[in-house]
Amino acid sequence: MKQHRKVALPRWGEYNCALKYIVEQGFEARCILPPPLSRRTEDLGARNSPDLVCTPFKTTLGSMIEALEAGADTILMVPGACRLNYFGELQEQILRDMGFTFEFINLSLYNTGNAKDLLKALRVVNPRRSMVKTARALYEAAKMIEHLDDITTLYYENCGFDPTKTYPKVYRQFIADMYEARNLNEIHEAFRVASRAFEDITLNKPSDPIRIGIIGDYYTVMDPFSNLELEQKLADMGVEVHRLMNLANDMLRGGGKNKQAKIRDFAEYSLGASSTADIWQAQNFAERGFDGIIQVKSAGCMPETDIMPILANLSRDYKIPVLYLTYDSQSSDVGLMTRLEAFYDMVEMRKKVNS
Amino acid sequence: MNESRMPAIGIPRAMLYYRYGALWEQFLQALGVSFQLSPPSSRGILETGTRLAPDESCLSLKMFMGHVDTLVGRCERILIPRYSNYGYTELFCTRYEGLYDQARNIFRSSGQRFITCNIDAQNGSPEAKAFELFGVELGFSARQSRRAWQEASKALKQKQKAEEQSQKELAAKPGMKVLIAGHSYILSDPYLGMPILDCLVSSGAVTLRADALESETARKACAKFSPTCRWIVSEEIVGGVLHWKEKADGIILVSAFPCGPDSMTNELLIRRLKGMPILPLVLDTQSGMAGVETRIESFLDIIRFQRGDMV
Repeated sequence: MKQHRKVALPRWGEYNCALKYIVEQGFEARCILPPPLSRRTEDLGARNSPDLVCTPFKTTLGSMIEALEAGADTILMVPGACRLNYFGELQEQILRDMGFTFEFINLSLYNTGNAKDLLKALRVVNPRRSMVKTARALYEAAKMIEHLDDITTLYYENCGFDPTKTYPKVYRQFIADMYEARNLNEIHEAFRVASRAFEDITLNKPSDPIRIGIIGDYYTVMDPFSNLELEQKLADMGVEVHRLMNLANDMLRGGGKNKQAKIRDFAEYSLGASSTADIWQAQNFAERGFDGIIQVKSAGCMPETDIMPILANLSRDYKIPVLYLTYDSQSSDVGLMTRLEAFYDMVEMRKKVNS
Repeated sequence: MNESRMPAIGIPRAMLYYRYGALWEQFLQALGVSFQLSPPSSRGILETGTRLAPDESCLSLKMFMGHVDTLVGRCERILIPRYSNYGYTELFCTRYEGLYDQARNIFRSSGQRFITCNIDAQNGSPEAKAFELFGVELGFSARQSRRAWQEASKALKQKQKAEEQSQKELAAKPGMKVLIAGHSYILSDPYLGMPILDCLVSSGAVTLRADALESETARKACAKFSPTCRWIVSEEIVGGVLHWKEKADGIILVSAFPCGPDSMTNELLIRRLKGMPILPLVLDTQSGMAGVETRIESFLDIIRFQRGDMV
């Protein structure tokens, strides 16, 4: 009998816990978690990628290499709305040229707009297992993603005001529980425990804290390693950090209805990929009276570059400062800290003057 | 100048103009709408565009914004068609998708009016419908617009066919042949790509262009070679390379810094076309011709050496 597949997906924030859940509870397969992203991952990726491709391509390629080193025999790659849809084919070619032997399941091939084709992809990963079980695992993984995103949202909004400094511990434990969960009960239970623990901590938050909204490209904004833990850094300065861009909001909850109509003054049509969501979120932050917006993008990200003139106009109209951050594989902490501190000082000063 | 004397439509001579311009011009002509093109690319236009566009955008976008700038205040409306998709798996680079709204935002304070033709089949506006709506917005009936579009698409097809035919004759000529591949808005641009083509010709190479091929033929070839490549214009270039490569002694891949689709399709071509000399050339705002010339000359030397012309 054939050994169980060892499936891996490149690292992306903590979302790998959901994949692990799908693979292990829904499919008859094992999930290999690539090591957490590191300098080594980036170096491996950058060295073997074309120069001008966007940074997420390099990072995910590096993570695939590390997954194969860790014993994976099947790499799963997701489709997407931008260049991401083409990542898989080129990455497979690069890995083969490097001499790796493995099976590559490129979901882009099945992403044809016809749901039947996606089902075909499921059968490829998982020829024997019943579709009912797979469907249930997919549903439960979706719940997991919602919980993960809700806890993460709570965490970054509040952890900067926690005098007991126990927020990180609760959050880390919750993430660890997500990776260990084997059924829906355990997922819900971990969520309840973490929410309750957060509630029990009395925060030392001013009535009108500095609030900064984060927007940006799908990969970089949701992956703390890729954005050099931007949210944690801001929270540590005493900022309430808001980010609407996450998988739960964007894919599972529809991400706000009629976004394009709401941002009509700035953009009549979509500028591709995450652009509409980003502009809408920026406008939403501005309307709610936030103190600043930070746009996070990887070097070479096209939709994010294209919306920069729009964000500039939005910044003028709403009188809200916007900081544009571009991340490449050489980004260092020091440069980021300098810019964040300057931005924070400016935002804080404006708040004092305006209040 | 009196506003009524201005041409109704201004067309920036950049980006997709070089691919679909014949279609737009024919369409407007058939309806009798007056239009004006921006002047041919120049250093000045690129410099203006570089100042206006976001720093990190591609060379072609910077050039495009420079062209838009030359039209501001000189026509009633500037036409920037929005090419988004022909269907779920037939896409365009997101840059063409965003051009219209991006330009509107960059030139917001100028008061200039813009008009688009929104080709977005996924959202109920395939090409035929898009041009119908475009015609209606210009003040014509849906029927007139449809007919104008049919005429115009025929003209575009014929133009492509003619280009393919004349290249067939070129490919039959003896001598060293170089296939040059890149977006037509790079290759045909008098400031960006033309100097490269001139350099090749003056070095005595017969120059074939990957984009001189009927779209269907090219895209079919590309679908086999790279099934998940879904940018129509990139498919045409990759398909063109595959179609013409047998006739060529070497390939030059010209792309603009930092072109998104090219960064990936060119890499795939280099990795999958083994045994063929390939020179990737990336143009940026600082490009002086001297560096490019040196690289082309040494590339041609390699080809000559391989052909045995230089023993």
